[in-house]
Amino acid sequence: MSFEDVEERDGIRLSWNVWPSSRIEATRTVVPISALYTPLKEREDLPPVLYEPVTCKGTCRSILNPYCQIDVRGKLWICPFCLQRNAFPPHYKDISNTNLPAELLPKYTTIEYTLSRPAPAPPVFLFVIDTCLDEPDLKALRDAIVVSLSLLPPYALVGLITFGTMTQVHELGYAECSKSYVFRGGKEYTPKQIQDMLNLGAQNRATPRPGQPIPQNFGAARFLLPVSQIEFQLTGILETLQRDPWSVANDKRPLRCTGVALSVAVGLLETTFANSGARIMLFSGGPATEGPGLVVGPALKEPIRSHHDIDRDTVKHFKRATKFYEGLAKRAAENGHAVDLFAASLDQIGLLEMKSLANFTNGAIVIADSFTTSIFKQSFLRLFTKDADGHLQMGFNATFDVQTTKELKISGLIGHAISANKKSANVGETEIGLGQTSGWKISALSPRTSTAVYFEVVTPAGQPVQSSSRGLIQFLTHYQHSSGTMRLRVTTIARNFAEAGAPTIPAAFDQEAAAVLMARIAVFKAEIDDSPDVLRWLDRMLIRLCQKFADYRKEDPTSFRLSDNFSIYPQFMFHLRRSQFLQVFNNSPDETAFYRHVLNEEDVNNSLIMIQPTLMSYTFDTPPQPVLLDSVSIKPDVILLLDTFFHILIFHGQTIAEWRKAGYQDQEGYENFKELLTAPVTDAQDLLIDRTPIPRYVVCDQGGSQARFLTSKLNPSTTHMSGGMYGAAGAGAGQAIFTDDVSLQVFMEHLKRLAVGASTT
Amino acid sequence: QRPFSLVTTNLIGMLADPRELSQTSPEIRLPPNASISPNPSANADPSYMRSTLNAVPATSALLNKSKLPFALVLTPHRSLKEGDETIPVVSDTVIARCRRCRSYINPYVQFIDGGNRWKCCMCNMSNEVPQLFDWDQEKNQPADRWARSELNYAAVDFVAPTEYMVRPPQPPVYTFLIDVSHAAVQSGMVATATRTILESLDRLPNRDDRTKIAIICFDVALHFFSISPGSTESSMLVVSDLDDVFLPKPNDLLVNLTESRAGLEALLARIPEMFQESHAIGSALGPALQAAFKLTTAIGCKIIVLTASLPSLGAGALKNREDPKILGTISVDMFLFSPSYTDVATLNHLPHYTSGQTYYYPAFSAARPIGFEGIIRVRASKGLRMSSFHGNFFVRSTDLLSMPSIPIDQSYVIEVQIDDSLTAPFAVFQTAVLYTSCEGERRIRVITLALPTTNNLSELYASGDEIAIATFLSTKAVERTLTHKLEDARDAITNKLVDILGTYKSSMTASGRGASAQLAIADNMKLLPILSLGLLKHVGLRQSAQIPPDLRAYAQALLSTLPSQQLIPYIHPSFYSLHTMPPEVGTIGEQGVIMPTPLPLTSERLERHGLYLIEDGQTIFLWVGRDAVPQLVMDVFNLPSYAELRGGKATLPLLENSFSQRVNAVIAKTREMRRGVYRPYLSWALSALIQDRADQAPSYAQYLTQLKDRVNAATS
Ligand SMILES: [Zn+2]
Ligand SMILES: [Zn+2]
Repeated sequence: MSFEDVEERDGIRLSWNVWPSSRIEATRTVVPISALYTPLKEREDLPPVLYEPVTCKGTCRSILNPYCQIDVRGKLWICPFCLQRNAFPPHYKDISNTNLPAELLPKYTTIEYTLSRPAPAPPVFLFVIDTCLDEPDLKALRDAIVVSLSLLPPYALVGLITFGTMTQVHELGYAECSKSYVFRGGKEYTPKQIQDMLNLGAQNRATPRPGQPIPQNFGAARFLLPVSQIEFQLTGILETLQRDPWSVANDKRPLRCTGVALSVAVGLLETTFANSGARIMLFSGGPATEGPGLVVGPALKEPIRSHHDIDRDTVKHFKRATKFYEGLAKRAAENGHAVDLFAASLDQIGLLEMKSLANFTNGAIVIADSFTTSIFKQSFLRLFTKDADGHLQMGFNATFDVQTTKELKISGLIGHAISANKKSANVGETEIGLGQTSGWKISALSPRTSTAVYFEVVTPAGQPVQSSSRGLIQFLTHYQHSSGTMRLRVTTIARNFAEAGAPTIPAAFDQEAAAVLMARIAVFKAEIDDSPDVLRWLDRMLIRLCQKFADYRKEDPTSFRLSDNFSIYPQFMFHLRRSQFLQVFNNSPDETAFYRHVLNEEDVNNSLIMIQPTLMSYTFDTPPQPVLLDSVSIKPDVILLLDTFFHILIFHGQTIAEWRKAGYQDQEGYENFKELLTAPVTDAQDLLIDRTPIPRYVVCDQGGSQARFLTSKLNPSTTHMSGGMYGAAGAGAGQAIFTDDVSLQVFMEHLKRLAVGASTT
Repeated sequence: QRPFSLVTTNLIGMLADPRELSQTSPEIRLPPNASISPNPSANADPSYMRSTLNAVPATSALLNKSKLPFALVLTPHRSLKEGDETIPVVSDTVIARCRRCRSYINPYVQFIDGGNRWKCCMCNMSNEVPQLFDWDQEKNQPADRWARSELNYAAVDFVAPTEYMVRPPQPPVYTFLIDVSHAAVQSGMVATATRTILESLDRLPNRDDRTKIAIICFDVALHFFSISPGSTESSMLVVSDLDDVFLPKPNDLLVNLTESRAGLEALLARIPEMFQESHAIGSALGPALQAAFKLTTAIGCKIIVLTASLPSLGAGALKNREDPKILGTISVDMFLFSPSYTDVATLNHLPHYTSGQTYYYPAFSAARPIGFEGIIRVRASKGLRMSSFHGNFFVRSTDLLSMPSIPIDQSYVIEVQIDDSLTAPFAVFQTAVLYTSCEGERRIRVITLALPTTNNLSELYASGDEIAIATFLSTKAVERTLTHKLEDARDAITNKLVDILGTYKSSMTASGRGASAQLAIADNMKLLPILSLGLLKHVGLRQSAQIPPDLRAYAQALLSTLPSQQLIPYIHPSFYSLHTMPPEVGTIGEQGVIMPTPLPLTSERLERHGLYLIEDGQTIFLWVGRDAVPQLVMDVFNLPSYAELRGGKATLPLLENSFSQRVNAVIAKTREMRRGVYRPYLSWALSALIQDRADQAPSYAQYLTQLKDRVNAATS
């Protein structure tokens, strides 16, 4: 099976598909054994499994799977992870080699159980709305939220918090009039205070007299109600929602207490629906300027921080705000609640400070210029996509556990999760990402959610695993399904071990998966370390990988050859080095936070587009074809379609642009030109169909200002510095790019020299 | 000028005849031509301004020697009953004031220099007569100067010209604070309060449609209501952060009565339902007050508190009383509904400093006319100085009293000091109140009182006004309870009395020093001991562990603010025998309804078959003897017999028999005489009969003996 077939079946891509059998050898293979796993990968062919999974009675709690050894006569199975012998449950008494339950069939290495235990509560959606917005923005936002209500299952609970100078929690269940609890914007409230002030506790209440019913309007039911019951009232409140009434001076930003609003939201949910699925959806049009979590002061003369400010450590509020939001994020994540951040502003809103809210909980981040844009509207509503049964494609309050056979230990996870602090025996010493645990909590899951899990091989020195023996990994994802059931998705994979130097190891290298898995490590490091250190680390790893797996004669760069399944890996690294994930200075800190967040969410294919955007070229008489992400691809008579995942750009070469401006496409006899113009537009629409968040769509002409989106992504093979270096072919055909970056060609030259141990000068 | 002639009376063995209480205070005998107007209203009516002494001692030595208190009792805004003279208004904005002492022209000035100048009666400054003083601006023709109100009336209202505006007149603002705790809801208070407010909306002053209203409900949290103009919908904003009270919205919380009338009405009608389910225990009255202050601090307002429980939450609010300045131009009225303890004593500090009133019962009428943003200054002839101030206001500077609002029928007591000997034959006191009327007009009420001066101690005694002195003693005693023990406050009253009596004995009677079987006093002050005894036995001051603190505090609030006219019956209730009243009583005579003769307050006068009326200005009480004949019970109560009568609050029926009609006429007249709101109050006890001995308190005869013994001891 190809890597893609495996991915199709199990939602998994591994860096190595044959594993080195000793710790030493595993270290020498440079890229760690690791998996990019998509727990809720859509599998329309999965059968509904409406019985309880059979669990190992040993300490491992693993689930019966096709790799288990079974004894049909003895009605026994042996757990491959802890070697425990388990009796089949009584209702498996008719089991035989021709009558096996689904979980033992080889095609169901991935299976999903619907558990008999129901979800503790319906899913909760708590909207947290900024009211410091322009009228059109506020209206667009209200409209979008009203539409979203119709997309929710009728039993989902909804709540509303609005904020500006102050925070208001709307008591939707109050019938007499619109009612809300108001919190001061400039104050940090403790969870206890929030609970008391919302009157969620039992203090200060007279006991009902005997015979009197306990009032219904008690506790959470006042604030969080089924959408079917409250849709009308909530729509009414949303439709009459006014801008923040406090006046704003000309030289000031509006007071926006995002921090208080979020802490009230987190506090409300943790009191009422701890450990039950919930999403806090924050819609904000600007930075927090008041109270805890303040990102920038209200005075306009104080600019919002840039990467340079953070680099120089001159930002006043950055550390405090970051710490504040991290505290909230941790509480939300521990209770299984996700926080989504919808930013609609031409300027930054402080996503860098707030990113932990989405990063710890796997909430969504969407950046748009305004709530009136389709980027916001579609990205938001796409969250509520439904499956064939009409259920939201959304999992809640998940726990994600990983089992391994004894030769493998877990180094950690990189993705939007927090550690569940499970110190199982299969936790390794090496730490990559969120380590020291075999389980994590993921507050929200989408079918796209992909987690990177890293492993190490542990074998006592000199005692490698027996070659051709098999290692197993089982991924267990417990989650609350939007239908109100609890689900368990189980994926079990097995891979062979091979001895040091065996050719099967490099032959089973998935360079695409490896590039993405290494990219996640690099970004994880970049969040902590200086970026030059990270770049040096990436270079070192690349050189070591090439040293290990390339064919070359020592000190002869010209002899350097990489086999096919390693050949484009250096190119990925080249583009990763130049990408916005690691070169942050061309972006705002908010954009960086957003880009990195998305990278840590997506599967291999999408991640690769982000790392190395795709470029299609359209011209007369040839079908559209992918071309090099290189400045040589820019030609006057072509149209280019660039997909960076975040941007989709159509670029008209100079001649094409001139013709189009002259209106040839509308003239008789130029139908082929018209077709040429529409072909990339049609293809772009296809790309947009299932992309989340919706990319920015740019159409530009050669020489136009928007064209920089394209040129910044291209390999600068024809820079003004490199004139003639690669001969006439480059210089004549392409467009010069003004950059000091090294080109891919120069990069490769360096790599070869370093790999073979030649002098680089 | 006829001198005062002193008549000495021996108190021992003398009956304290309540009829004397209705006698006027000693006549003010000004020298002839002291006033430029022959009008009898040229000197202040005692109901507006009276002095404890109707002759001013020319030296402080004389005053000190007499031991008499020298103080003014002011009620600048008293209610007018039918037939009362209204206060004339000077509307041409020509206001003549002395250049030096800033007093207003009045009937006691002198015109000099051919009428071109006037000489100030306070400081003798010669001032120019204003240009338009003799000109009728309306008819645009010369006018008769001598007809000007300010030269003929001691009390006048000037319409203030623009220079008197500190700021444009502010609209009247009312903030209602409604207790919606479990207790308040269960007691029915919330429904009563909202219904009453709803009914009062029409009666609130709102001449230019500028009146503003805010409603804040409170229990363990504050519930604000936002109403946008014209809307019938309101939204409730709950603030639970009591440590740090804030306004949840910058607008629409304080709404225009006219624009938001529909919304207010809808809201008031719904409040009882809104909180029907309330199980909150606790009262955040303090924070509610803070919120009301924040809401209205820019414009000033009247806060009306409707509460049924003890403030228990939010420490901040009651601290306010220690810093009255932060209240600024806001006044607080309290309406207390609690059947249990409500700590009126503490709460009273707010009305005290902000010149509001405390009502213990819900019989309030938010429509009582009031003025806003008042400033009072009292000026007097050279040599006299206002030295201390008592009442619900706070002193802004040494002689300037400031009051956020001016309640009607509230009195203030100001002590006067003599700094320099007075040489003129008479002295003048002038009270000027600058205020904004309910209609938003800036006005100055000027009240001028002229009193003769004297160097003679016997004249001084003869001029003592026992009613004013009793008012002074009452106010001082209550003030003393704030800083001293209740016992000290009572002792201070008796001590003052002993002082006066002792000095009188030694300087005015033949017995002089040495024991005497008599207890001598000037005849015009002979009721002082009975009034003092009434004070000592009053629920506000008497020694008893039985008196609920709320009731005590409420009574004290009245004792220190009621005008004399209402205070005297409050400390010495009227007591009438109805079953023996002569046939003309209760019919209309020349001076209206003929009243029965008041009886001394002693149970000796009670007959077991009788029907009596006792009233203290707050409550009217009918006492029916248990041997009352059924016909009497039938005639008055329309009930077959005494046994059918039930105690408690009742409305007396008006029946088809002359006795019933006469009794009703007497009660109606009593109500009319007291002017103020009659508050139904039921727990009256025989303690109103102050001449009787009760608990540790002496009978009147015993009290007089005690006084005599102490006077003898002091003068021996
Ligand atoms: Zn096991
Ligand atoms: Zn003067």
